[in-house]
Amino acid sequence: MLSCVGLGKQFGDRIAVDDVSFAIADGECYGLLGPNGAGKTTTISMVCGLLAPDRGTASIDGAPAGSLRAKAAVGYVPQDLALYPDLSATENLHFFGQLYGVTGRRLASRIGEVLELVGLAERADERVGTYSGGMKRRANIAAGLIHQPRLLILDEPTVGVDPQSRNAILETVGSLGISVLYTTHYMEEAAKLCRRVGIIDDGRLIAEGTPHHLIEAHGGQDRVRLSCETAGRTALAEACRRLSGVAEVRSIEGGLELVCDHGAAVLPTVVSAASHEHVALSGVEVMAPDLEGVFLALTGKELRD
Amino acid sequence: MVITCIVAPLALAGILGFAFAEGDSPSHVTIGVAGARADLVRAAEHAAQLPRSVSVRIEANRSALKEAVADGSLDGGVVLSARPIALNHLLIPIIAPGATPSPGFDVMSATSSLAGQQWSESMAAALSSRLYAGRLVAGSATDRAAISVESATLGNASKGILNYFAPSIAVIFLFVGAGLGMRSLLLERSSGTLVRMAAAPLKPNRIVFGKLLAIFITGIVSILVVWGATTFFFGADWGDPLGVLLMCIGATAAMCGLGVFLTSWAKDEQSAFGVALIVGLVLALLGGNLLPPGALPHFLQVAALGTPNGWAQVGFGRLSLLSEPASAIINPFLILMAIAVVTGGLAMTRVNKMVEP
Repeated sequence: MLSCVGLGKQFGDRIAVDDVSFAIADGECYGLLGPNGAGKTTTISMVCGLLAPDRGTASIDGAPAGSLRAKAAVGYVPQDLALYPDLSATENLHFFGQLYGVTGRRLASRIGEVLELVGLAERADERVGTYSGGMKRRANIAAGLIHQPRLLILDEPTVGVDPQSRNAILETVGSLGISVLYTTHYMEEAAKLCRRVGIIDDGRLIAEGTPHHLIEAHGGQDRVRLSCETAGRTALAEACRRLSGVAEVRSIEGGLELVCDHGAAVLPTVVSAASHEHVALSGVEVMAPDLEGVFLALTGKELRD
Repeated sequence: MVITCIVAPLALAGILGFAFAEGDSPSHVTIGVAGARADLVRAAEHAAQLPRSVSVRIEANRSALKEAVADGSLDGGVVLSARPIALNHLLIPIIAPGATPSPGFDVMSATSSLAGQQWSESMAAALSSRLYAGRLVAGSATDRAAISVESATLGNASKGILNYFAPSIAVIFLFVGAGLGMRSLLLERSSGTLVRMAAAPLKPNRIVFGKLLAIFITGIVSILVVWGATTFFFGADWGDPLGVLLMCIGATAAMCGLGVFLTSWAKDEQSAFGVALIVGLVLALLGGNLLPPGALPHFLQVAALGTPNGWAQVGFGRLSLLSEPASAIINPFLILMAIAVVTGGLAMTRVNKMVEP
């Protein structure tokens, strides 16, 4: 559906996107995961034909990105709300639908469908300016879906949205069944929605694969966090280091962090060691590796930096 | 859209009409004449085509008239010199009403009464016209010319100020309107809707052309509303309708082209608003839109022809003040269209950059 080969874009001396290549199959949800300023928006701007790439090519369903055929196949949902606040959701969808050549009964029918899909049917005739932040985001997505695109491109659609609206947005996107390019810096969203994820940092795609594959390859080991008092903490750390299956013991705020292959398996021996050292544990947490860990392992920095 | 096309032009027409269309004003104006025989005054009064709201009173002498104007019982007046007036001096108030000094004529008016001044000048012109005609051999070609000058000058006098200022101010309104139209485009850019349009399967120049066309249509509707409202509600006469229509099209195209081009350099909608107002005011001053005809110094009159509103003034002035036919405005119209093509083309290039990848 979408193929990007060696995409590159430079603004002055700053390289925003450098040799980015990836492809999205029909019906696949692909996540572009990276921190703010990593090059996600620049990449999708080139895919949508809003920016001309300096290097490389992008094609949508065989048509060059930016061509009228490619644009007609894409539904673009920008990061910021891109609707007329003085118009109702219906009026906004009417206008943007017509831009894509959807008219008459088909347009009226599509407006009803997409508003139902995003859960705004009951407030369809109210001014968008009166909507809550989450409702505006959902209306923004509806405008990207009005012409039944084959590829939906969402640029960080959940930034600044309350948890309830975020869940609603994720459910909507997950139910579409069309190709989706989803950019985010929330790793849990990418892990939940996307079949494959590309990790982008400083304009370069540094890893790509299914979340499971990425975690397995780059996510490292389980971490066990122990909350305990300061007294006896040093002795407990020494005891844990001697335990089989524990690779590393770090001192963290409020306790210790153990790095091990199977956190759940070592937990009984850790609790036993704490009892032996007369250290009272106030909390124990086993954390499996995730995409956050993948990003940390690949770049040496946190995803939200 | 409704505000820009209908409400604001109607408000503008209303302000202009109530400010300048004193011929329809219910308030009565009385002007005095001193130093002229009663039969000459009556003949001049008839020639001046004074409306019913204006009456003429004969005063005994200059000091009586001056006193009556000073105490407010007269809105204005004309004193004829007791000395003989040279024939060529008689032409001055006929050809250039309001010109001072007019040898042999002393026009005075209350400072608060624009109507008093206007009708006093009309009476001065009519008196001088009758005197001029009376000194020529009856039936001569020169006599007919003098009478012709008289009727041409006085026939338009009743609405002269409104006829001149209505198109004059409306043209500046066009520029500000175009700037505000461009502001809406910048607003679309900052709000993200322009990006959404650019992502749609439309050629960028179609988006730009649509935007400019909307600005032009808004402009042409607004000036036509001012024309219609000042004509129907306040009795203004902008001149030959075909000529006025052509001038409206030319002025709108030129002012919108220039307005969009200049405001397209603004960084955001706030600065576009500032640019539209400031440049609009400068153009109005430079083009002479805020001053009576011929009031600008000579070098500024030449400079006015470097502005589209200056050329609009020329065209509208020929139609309304000189009652010339539509054929008389071909040159101003063509110049305005040339300005429109150049500035509109540059504006399209600028706006295209906002939309093109």
